[in-house]
Amino acid sequence: MKKFLVFLMAMLTALVLAACTTSENAGEEPEDDAEPDTTEQDDTANEEENNATDQETEEKVLRLNNGIEPTSLDPSIGFDAVSWDPLNNLMEGLTRLDQDSRAAAGVAEDWDISEDGLTYTFHLREDANWSNGDPVVAEDFVYAWKYMLDPETASSAAFLGYFIEGAEAFNNGDGTADDVNVTAIDDKTLEVVLEAPTGFFLDLLTNPAFFPINHQVAQENPDWHTEANTFVGNGPFQLESWEHDVEMVFTKNEHYWDAGVVNLEKIHFAMVNDTNTQYQMFESGELDTASIPPELSDQLIDGDNVYIGDYGGLEFYRFNITEEPFHNKNIRKAFAYAVNRADIAEYVVKNGVEPAYGFVSPGFTGPTGTDFRAENGDLVSFDPALAQDYLEQGMAEEGYDELPEIVLSYNTSDANKAVAEALQSMFNEHLGVEVTLENQEWNVFAEAQQNLELQLSRSSFINDYSDPVNFLESFVTDSYMNRTGFSSDAYDELIAKGKSETDEEQRWEYLYEAEKMLADEMIAMPIRYYNTVVLEADGVSGILRHPVGYFDLKYADKK
Amino acid sequence: MLRYILKRLLIMVITLWIIVTLTFVLMVSIPGSPFNSDQTSNETVQENLERHYNLDKPYHIQYLLYLKSIATLEFGPSIKQPNQTVNDLLGRSFPISFELGMVTIIVAVISGILLGIIAALRHNGIVDYLAMGVAVLGISIPNFILATLLIQQLAVNAEWFPVATWSSPAHMVLPVLALATGPMAIIARLTRSTMLEVLTQDYIKMARAKGLNPWKIIFKHALRNALMPVVTIMGTLLAGILTGTFVIEQIFAIPGMGKYFVESINHRDYPVIMGTTVFYSSFLIIMLFLVDIAYGILDPRIKVNKKEGE
Repeated sequence: MKKFLVFLMAMLTALVLAACTTSENAGEEPEDDAEPDTTEQDDTANEEENNATDQETEEKVLRLNNGIEPTSLDPSIGFDAVSWDPLNNLMEGLTRLDQDSRAAAGVAEDWDISEDGLTYTFHLREDANWSNGDPVVAEDFVYAWKYMLDPETASSAAFLGYFIEGAEAFNNGDGTADDVNVTAIDDKTLEVVLEAPTGFFLDLLTNPAFFPINHQVAQENPDWHTEANTFVGNGPFQLESWEHDVEMVFTKNEHYWDAGVVNLEKIHFAMVNDTNTQYQMFESGELDTASIPPELSDQLIDGDNVYIGDYGGLEFYRFNITEEPFHNKNIRKAFAYAVNRADIAEYVVKNGVEPAYGFVSPGFTGPTGTDFRAENGDLVSFDPALAQDYLEQGMAEEGYDELPEIVLSYNTSDANKAVAEALQSMFNEHLGVEVTLENQEWNVFAEAQQNLELQLSRSSFINDYSDPVNFLESFVTDSYMNRTGFSSDAYDELIAKGKSETDEEQRWEYLYEAEKMLADEMIAMPIRYYNTVVLEADGVSGILRHPVGYFDLKYADKK
Repeated sequence: MLRYILKRLLIMVITLWIIVTLTFVLMVSIPGSPFNSDQTSNETVQENLERHYNLDKPYHIQYLLYLKSIATLEFGPSIKQPNQTVNDLLGRSFPISFELGMVTIIVAVISGILLGIIAALRHNGIVDYLAMGVAVLGISIPNFILATLLIQQLAVNAEWFPVATWSSPAHMVLPVLALATGPMAIIARLTRSTMLEVLTQDYIKMARAKGLNPWKIIFKHALRNALMPVVTIMGTLLAGILTGTFVIEQIFAIPGMGKYFVESINHRDYPVIMGTTVFYSSFLIIMLFLVDIAYGILDPRIKVNKKEGE
């Protein structure tokens, strides 16, 4: 028996030891992996010294946070901010947004637009090159755009290409790649024929979905975009290393045609998904920019190191106009006029956001040089008396003594909940209406909203391209983005003209009218515009943050 | 013994199949699709996406495709990160979670058992109260609060450790502390209570009466019996901690696999849901099996193969 016990103890010790060895192995493993990292850590050390002594070495390194791993660095697939921010600095389209956020020459040096506004001929720069030294040729664009539109690719961005003749047919399977009217006239000349005149086509081309793909590289290796060593870009920076889920490192791309204006030598993109953590890292100097955690908004928002800018987007609530009681326009208006947006922006959402009294966010400059929002003015206001009038009128029209039960729905999040509760108390106070709040997990919510199962539900819109029509066209009949049941021939026509009118001033008139019509029908009520709020460390300058899309580090600098 | 192991293996496979099937049914019955987003889209784009990921196929075909992917251990590309296969994601993140988890478990077990023994030996003394006070705190403070406190105090204020990310041993200290405290407290309390029970047993009194070395009594005779409940919880604890923890990984920006369990479901990333489920369930089943074997080693009275036991 005693022997047996000794044997058992030995077994146990062996087991413990075995456990220890595994853990030691586990500890060693990343050390092996970390070999290339060692240099990186040295960099970190160097850089910290830099910060301290400021002039040890001249290398300018910017440390940013991408939040999470980019969905994809394939420009046709990565259809979200976490992919666009890196992509916009690794690659470049025919046009690129300039310091005033207007489409300016990118890979294309200049372009000719035909009289009818349908044919665009782009002249590519002679010195536009890929990071592997290949010249950027017209065929690279033809290849990239047809790849994006190919139904097999299943690109989420494909609909952006529908402005090109034959694109929609190819994407929905009715046509073929050859029907897409994009042609490489020669190596440096690209011709595109559009479906209809599109005044904002040059803006559209700044979207990463329209970036070129080095067709020789892509044909040889379809997975060229998945790792740093195979990635070939044509932007101000190149992808030096990419440790998935951990960090991307960009270095200055010497092959870039405008490399002379690029100041930064290196950019580190961390992937820290916790707002508090990234703020703490900013505080301790591990990051050069950070967002403001909501709970610290009041303390930090007025600081000198805070950048606040427009961001093309709207938080709003959709009415379901196919169901009682919101099939009645006056009842919809009553709700819209009972909302004190200024209070919601200042005390609920905070972070310096602007209340929304219209649908199209500020930041879109028209052909006459005025801002869309300023020109079309306030289309809804906070007016409890008027709201009461609308409610009485609406109830009389429907013969209600009492409103049917109303449920206000939102997808589960603390921020959404706070706004929903504010709305609930405003409806109660100014209309005397009790609404019930209901929150659902995002996917469940999105499906219910799409199927018109909700009465009054939260929505947000972020611009894909820099034109007011981007938001307004959501509400044309049967649009996938409609989600209200709204359908109006007059509105559809306004939007059609607002897309294809060649006289820009006239086109904008149609859009002003369309927005007014939305407000008159009040199928959705605006709450607030989005904005960009970023903490920037001392010495960081020149990061372009455009109202639509993604930031540009081409001119960024760090002292 | 061999027959017992074979039988267990067969049961494991059947258990796994039941789990996979249930997961599939639950997965397709929750509303929503992986392609819902706030961003602009249209029907054609949605149809192309669904076709691309075989989601336009009838459910029984999808089910067979999943079974096939599990049988071949090729789960295919993630929908959320289309350039990465599920195997890539798990293969890359599991070693990190495993490393963090292993260090955490070792710290928790050693400190927990020591704390438990000390408390039991100084029963109702000041040391006991102190140790148990620490344990109660450890159990009742959620690890994400502890994590935030640790970052604020030790990283931002004292600047002893980096705030977050995963690249050097120094980066490991805070997450290990945050993660180990809870299990340590549980183990300490378990060890203490069973130790107290065991120390009053006749055979311990007998050993003392024989004048054996008191340390030998504690570690050789008392502790081994007192460890049984600890071993019982080790199976689930190991499977839970080694496969990553969503919150701690998020706070410390550790690229472990914890996030895939939660995010795959939020995103309806079906291949990742299947991959993580199969991975976790196999892991848990194997851990429980090992625990059963360990019982037999620790306590010869428990026969794993009772039916054929002599």
